[in-house]
Amino acid sequence: MWLPRLSTDRIERGLATRDNKTPHIIAAPSESALRLTAVNNAATALGLKPGMPLADARAMFPSIEVMEADAEADLRVLEAVSDWIDRYTPLAGLDTPDGLLLDVTGCAHLFGGEAAMARDLIERLARQGFHARATVADSVGCAWAVARYGDVTVIPRGETVAAMLPLPVAALRVEPKTAAALARMGLKCVADIAGQPRAPFAARFGDGLLRRLDQALGCAGEPITPRLPLPSAMAERRFPDPIAREDDVLGTIEQLAHELGRVLERRGEGARVIALALFRADGAVHRLEIGTGAPLREASRVKRLFEDRLAVLGDAADPGFGFDMIRLSALVTERCDPVQTGLAGSDQSEELAHLIDRLGARFGLRRVTRPVAQDTHIPEYAVAAMPAHAAVRAVPAPICAGQDSLSPVRPIKLFERPEPIDAIAEVPDGPPVRFRWRHVMHQVRRVEGPERIAMEWWRDDRGNKLTRDYFRVESGIGARVWLYREGLFGSETPRPRWYLHGLFA
Amino acid sequence: MGSAAPTIDRLRQTLAGIDPSLRPALPGGSRQIGFDAGIGAVLGGGLACGGLHELVPVGPVHLAAATGFAMALAALSGRGRGETLWIATDYAASEAGGPYGPGLDLFGVDSARLVMLRVPRAVDVLWAMEEALRCGALSSVIAELTGDGADAGLTATRRLSLAAREGKGVCLGLLLRHGGLSMPSAASTRWQVAAAASEPDRFGGLGRAAFELSLVKNRRGPCGRWIITWDHHEHVFQPAVPVGVAAPPLDRSDRARLSHAG
Repeated sequence: MWLPRLSTDRIERGLATRDNKTPHIIAAPSESALRLTAVNNAATALGLKPGMPLADARAMFPSIEVMEADAEADLRVLEAVSDWIDRYTPLAGLDTPDGLLLDVTGCAHLFGGEAAMARDLIERLARQGFHARATVADSVGCAWAVARYGDVTVIPRGETVAAMLPLPVAALRVEPKTAAALARMGLKCVADIAGQPRAPFAARFGDGLLRRLDQALGCAGEPITPRLPLPSAMAERRFPDPIAREDDVLGTIEQLAHELGRVLERRGEGARVIALALFRADGAVHRLEIGTGAPLREASRVKRLFEDRLAVLGDAADPGFGFDMIRLSALVTERCDPVQTGLAGSDQSEELAHLIDRLGARFGLRRVTRPVAQDTHIPEYAVAAMPAHAAVRAVPAPICAGQDSLSPVRPIKLFERPEPIDAIAEVPDGPPVRFRWRHVMHQVRRVEGPERIAMEWWRDDRGNKLTRDYFRVESGIGARVWLYREGLFGSETPRPRWYLHGLFA
Repeated sequence: MGSAAPTIDRLRQTLAGIDPSLRPALPGGSRQIGFDAGIGAVLGGGLACGGLHELVPVGPVHLAAATGFAMALAALSGRGRGETLWIATDYAASEAGGPYGPGLDLFGVDSARLVMLRVPRAVDVLWAMEEALRCGALSSVIAELTGDGADAGLTATRRLSLAAREGKGVCLGLLLRHGGLSMPSAASTRWQVAAAASEPDRFGGLGRAAFELSLVKNRRGPCGRWIITWDHHEHVFQPAVPVGVAAPPLDRSDRARLSHAG
């Protein structure tokens, strides 16, 4: 599918009045001059073409409106169109800068055949203000070429070669330089090349030209890279009249979750990642994704998760004039065997898993974590916060259990970055006598230490290799803190600095 | 005094009809966390699970002590099986540090049974706490509120109390405010926590964690003030040996009687 006027369509869609009489041109610097990159229909009628220097266009029409090219905005629009086109087939890939590749195998009959589907697509896009051309063919290369250089909508099966032969060489998706070189040799259309021996072409242009030729003629395969992950199972519902009320949307989600659950149940699977796509009537698409801690296919829970998620999104999932299609798909599935539930009430761990899912759906799965012990003696790396839905329960390694102390040797709270403090010690390598933390002076009443922790030799990426001497300190008012002096006096640094790393109860 | 008790019971029942959060603990359903006799008597047995309790440090320096007290209560409510949810805003975690697994293990709190939730705003803390209390799968929920916790006013805390009650009476709700002792609240109890000097071992090192507790609000009984220590090996609170109190006289009457008998 080709959007020949993508850039100008983007600008015209943003204007208050749809007026296709005004010529719009877009210019960008290329080949050491400002040249036109896109023109709309009105400008074409005036004889303006992409590639023309802007100065020429200005000379012909001094009052013409010129816009600056914005490739990123074009890409965003193309992605939005690709999102919308998801309603026809889940297998859609971008063909930058101005095309989309769709695999419609097995989808066309839902829309009344390939020709009807293409017509529907073009009409709907036209209503949204896009000029589009679409061609259905056996090979990606052929569809690409005919959409741009031909005027047929559907190339029947087996007629790929016949359709390609009369087209110009540029239709083979080769570099403009290559096309120009071929034209100089008098090879103007695909038929001129297809009939020739291959070796000279390979020697002159490399294998790019021949590969493109094979792909266009359907001799070589060409996969489409889908922009969005392909779901393992999905359920969708279309509405003749868009729905906008939240209750209706959630009700539909629950029904779809039922359908999805039945499909998954037959396979003996449950969903780990579920995606919801809300297709708005004006073409915008909202996509939400939730992950679960355990394979899930229970409709009420799926609904609950999305309810929490939608509640947070608020205006970000604005229904506008309503949604005309809702799709629920299971992106990642996992084996899920039915479990015999006990007679003695509900299972606590299952309740907890659901709570974690819900908190994850609302705040993001990364925000719900469990501490998992790591095999290192550096305090800040000794524990890692793993997402709770994925965390494996490891038996924490008992650290320093042999330390002879009445009090615990590690703090219950640790600062992400140690806080610098002013500390005074009687001798440079002795324990602190008093220290100032957050503007408060503390007298040290009791101290235990030092516990010397040297950095691992491979952790020197920040140049931070200084040895730390940790002290457990109780201050005059009873606060118990974990201090350390960074750097060994004399051998590592002449002025060791002090930090407060954690707090004891 | 004997005639007053039935009257008070009747009044309590009337109040319970008006406000469900004042209803006495479910018979047999609600668990209690045991303290020693002194505190237990004031609380009517122990700290009731299925209720909301507030902890406020005396000053910013004592926040770690309040955290430790909350963690110890969570360990007691879990009894080695239940899970604890820790909820804090991003700001609270950077301001006061995050829970540190290895230290918690040594403190007597199983960090493998701890779930931590970081949320962006204070209102999210309250939402998450309410949901967690209601779900009934956790043994305790600790929520940290920075500043004076102005978001947790009377209405919010009443919601939380009701949620804790709905959750099968098994979940202990602990609201850890960084400040704001004078905030109105519907919680069952409010504790003011300060770090107390620990009892040193015989080599002069640090002793077990000691807390100076003031029960400043109690819906079911009188208030009080205690110094207790947390035994992180036995998982039990113990009354601290008071420091600086005069030694008992040698000629105490009870001893005299014993020596006579002996």
